[in-house]
Amino acid sequence: MKFSYNWLKEYLKGKVPKPQKLAELLTLHSFEVEEVEKIGSDFSLDIAVLPNRGPDCLSHVGIARDIAVITGIKFQFPTFKIQEKKDVDAKNFLSLEIRDKNDCPRYTARIVTDLKIASSPKWMQKRLRLLGLRPINNIVDIANYVMLETGQPLHAFDADKITNNKIIVRRAKKGEKIITLDNEKYTLDRKVLLIADPQKPLGIAGIKGGKGSEVTTKTKTIVLESANFNPKVIRRGSQKINLKTDASWRFEHGIDANLTEIAVNRAVALMQQIAEGKVMKGMVDFYPQKVKPRRVRLNLIYLTQLLGSKVDIKEVKNILAKLEFKILQSKPPNLLVEVPTFRLDVNLPEDLIEEIGRMAGLQKIPSIFPQTALIPPQRNLDIFWADFIKNILKEAGFTEVYNPSFISTKEIEILNYKISKLIEIENPTSAEFQFLRPSLIPLLLKNIRENQKYFKDVRIFELGKIFKRRNRKYEEKRMLTGVMTGPSFYQAKGAIDAICNKLGISNVWYDSYEATPEESEFSFWHPKICAEIKTDHEEIGFLGEISSKILEGFEIKNKLIVFDLDFEKLKTLASEEHEYTPISSYPAAIRDISLLVPQETKVIEVLNIIDNIGGHLLRDIDLFDVYKGEEIPGGTKNLSFHLIYQAPDRTLTSREIDKIQQKIIKVLEKNPDWQVRI
Amino acid sequence: MARINLKRLKNKAKKEIVKTQNLKELDKLFKKYSGKRGELTSILRSLKEMPKTKRLKVGRQANELKEFLIAQFDKRAKFLKDKSEKESKKKEWIDVTLPGEKILLGHLHPLTQTRRKVEEIFQSLGFSVIEGPEIENEWYNFDTLNIPKDHPARDFWDTLYLKGGGLLRTHTSPVQVRFLEKNKPPLRIIVPGRVFRHEATDASHEINFYQVEGLMVDDKGKISIAHFKAIIEEFFRRFFGKRVKIRLRPSFFPFTEPSFEVDVSCPICGGKGCSACKNSSWIEIMGAGMVHPNVFKNSGLNPKDWQGFAFGMGMDRLAMVKYKINDIRLFYSGDLRFLKQF
Repeated sequence: MKFSYNWLKEYLKGKVPKPQKLAELLTLHSFEVEEVEKIGSDFSLDIAVLPNRGPDCLSHVGIARDIAVITGIKFQFPTFKIQEKKDVDAKNFLSLEIRDKNDCPRYTARIVTDLKIASSPKWMQKRLRLLGLRPINNIVDIANYVMLETGQPLHAFDADKITNNKIIVRRAKKGEKIITLDNEKYTLDRKVLLIADPQKPLGIAGIKGGKGSEVTTKTKTIVLESANFNPKVIRRGSQKINLKTDASWRFEHGIDANLTEIAVNRAVALMQQIAEGKVMKGMVDFYPQKVKPRRVRLNLIYLTQLLGSKVDIKEVKNILAKLEFKILQSKPPNLLVEVPTFRLDVNLPEDLIEEIGRMAGLQKIPSIFPQTALIPPQRNLDIFWADFIKNILKEAGFTEVYNPSFISTKEIEILNYKISKLIEIENPTSAEFQFLRPSLIPLLLKNIRENQKYFKDVRIFELGKIFKRRNRKYEEKRMLTGVMTGPSFYQAKGAIDAICNKLGISNVWYDSYEATPEESEFSFWHPKICAEIKTDHEEIGFLGEISSKILEGFEIKNKLIVFDLDFEKLKTLASEEHEYTPISSYPAAIRDISLLVPQETKVIEVLNIIDNIGGHLLRDIDLFDVYKGEEIPGGTKNLSFHLIYQAPDRTLTSREIDKIQQKIIKVLEKNPDWQVRI
Repeated sequence: MARINLKRLKNKAKKEIVKTQNLKELDKLFKKYSGKRGELTSILRSLKEMPKTKRLKVGRQANELKEFLIAQFDKRAKFLKDKSEKESKKKEWIDVTLPGEKILLGHLHPLTQTRRKVEEIFQSLGFSVIEGPEIENEWYNFDTLNIPKDHPARDFWDTLYLKGGGLLRTHTSPVQVRFLEKNKPPLRIIVPGRVFRHEATDASHEINFYQVEGLMVDDKGKISIAHFKAIIEEFFRRFFGKRVKIRLRPSFFPFTEPSFEVDVSCPICGGKGCSACKNSSWIEIMGAGMVHPNVFKNSGLNPKDWQGFAFGMGMDRLAMVKYKINDIRLFYSGDLRFLKQF
């Protein structure tokens, strides 16, 4: 809210610091001052009043009271006098019907007659303009002025436009309509509270006045409303009709019910002075349950323990007194404190401690390391393995990206996701962020598209959460997904092998994946160049080339290999156990095998046989060449392996090695389609 | 006669050795004197035909000459070797300003690096690192944190709601309660993680970003604002690697009382005023306070028994200040021109 520097000064009896200095003091003790702007001979201070202080500080009086405590200058509310007309009593002029005291805990009104409606004085117009309000006429301006001064919204009705001089506070009927002061038409329902007369609505309670009861140049008599409404009711009503006003904003924060009387008196005094009005005797006041000050016990030892530094009892008492708190009992270390009703935010000892802490100065609190038991931090294995994996991928030349957690309707179409399996945002900010991502792949593809303009080879990965809907439940889990450009299936496979190896997951294997025809039509994956990544019994991920249809959809020029691993599974399989295998001091012997097999034979089948027969003396098998070409029959390929034999405890003899080698060859040749060539 | 011969031979050899220009010439010259048919060799061979007295004399002189010549040859050989090495090295000259061959390097995201640093510092101060779900409900995201329904305080957190119920957490604070429900204090945790806001994106706002939450709870009376100040000051000093100062300003959070904002003296200009701190010399970086009694209550703990502080800050903001990044959207752009700088 904006405040006028000159106006604030009126409540302070002493030398007020310069605007910049004042802004600094307020920032350190009360609220952040976001801007100080010189306008004419005044300054506007834009103060970010905190939501809990709305009740007392969305007003010049409230801010001035805080300044008084900070600077030690005396705070004083201006004195004013009302000369009442004796002939008629307001109570006889106006009748009230408040349907629910929970919606409207207090309704105060005064009547002013014989008014001369005109422009308000220049000084008042200037202040209203400085704070962003448009001057209208003396009555409306005075109502606004007093709101800015005290925080209490006021509303003036033209008394001649109120049927039967009766005001009813009630909920609107469904479909009931009203035209507001700014000529907007609203259709209301039970959520909205109304000010009405027996025939029609007069205004939307606490939000905006109605056109029908507006004060015009012809107005002679007004009913000036100063009411207290339930903050929740006003908030719901304001949300319902989507209308926020200076009044509704203040009511939403809650206002002291005892303020209505002060504000209405202040306003009618000004009307008497400025608009030549005559004030009718007394006031109409519905106030069935008077709000009384709360009492809070403050223990000074606790104060010291919470702040971490001692505040002298004299200073404590001084601060509380200046904030208009009363000390009812003082038996150190205990104080019984009465909280003024305008401080709706103070309910607990901690609230009082905050008041004392900020006014005494948070800067004065020293820095002291706590003395506590030594409790070693827990190790977080999720984070440990995530960091571990990220490091491996970085070493393998991958760059880590972070993408938003959302995907757009457009991407959903390209990828043909089933909406029923996705989690949709109820109130998305744009179509781009309408669904939670069910996979990391779509946005990684987007990254590739954007980066292909600048980089030829791209290797990126992300470790992040994906979201899916399973029946009525939400599933949220982390995936590790990487993309590399180029036809590099085996490079990607190598990267996965490296990850698994370093994670201590040894039993990883790759299973070719046969999609059902239905699946394959919409699949991400190239129908042939893809594989499921498995450990003993379960799938832990997928690896493959992205289908050309999807690439087209994402406007990507080059082939891509993607791996998509379930991080939650990886981390449970991972192990830090690692055992050193002694390096044999006996020589290794290498024998080669060359095998002619049909094109579609999987290397794993051959390797399994060699490994099985080779036993523990066959230390390693290395596929060093796959040949397809003219010198061998069509439809076949030639696989060449190095077989490395070594024993940990002796030098192997050629006879021993040859015996195993022959056995392997014999078994391999049992397959009629295979032919050992060496 | 032999004497004169030897002397002349010595002078001649000396001159010729100095004249040689490379090892090959020197080798040829060596053969001319000391080879099988060399001049000196033939003199030595002719000794046995001489009378005994002469043979002794000439023999001694000839052997002296032989040693002398070997020394001369060695000296020259060393000289020529050095010379040729120098010459050949001259030919091996390279342009050291040519760019090196690029090796394939990967990069970790700046937020990963920031997060690791934050975790490392807090772990060394005895804090455990805890995580929590990103899909939350109103109870944990608001109610348990003392943020009442139908209160303007909720406007602080513009929330993305899910069709079918639930919401995306607007802060990491729900994890405070989730953790307190299952773990009895004393405890010290930090909670890094992704959070979401219903906000239009611009240079300083993102629909998702990272926060790190902190919580330290101990017996009543044991943990104060003074302790918070010491821990947080230590954190910022280690994080920015400079003697930064902190300043507390009063603030309001429903889940802490008292509450405050934490400003750090600008680590970029050191307080002189720059664009990063908008010439204020302070950077607003963290919200904090003493845990509100209602949060303990809502976590199933008796507020009479416990006391502690909580804080929260934007990881993106930390990284932006540290690396002088001016647009938060870069973090989520996947732009390799940006990411490869880290």
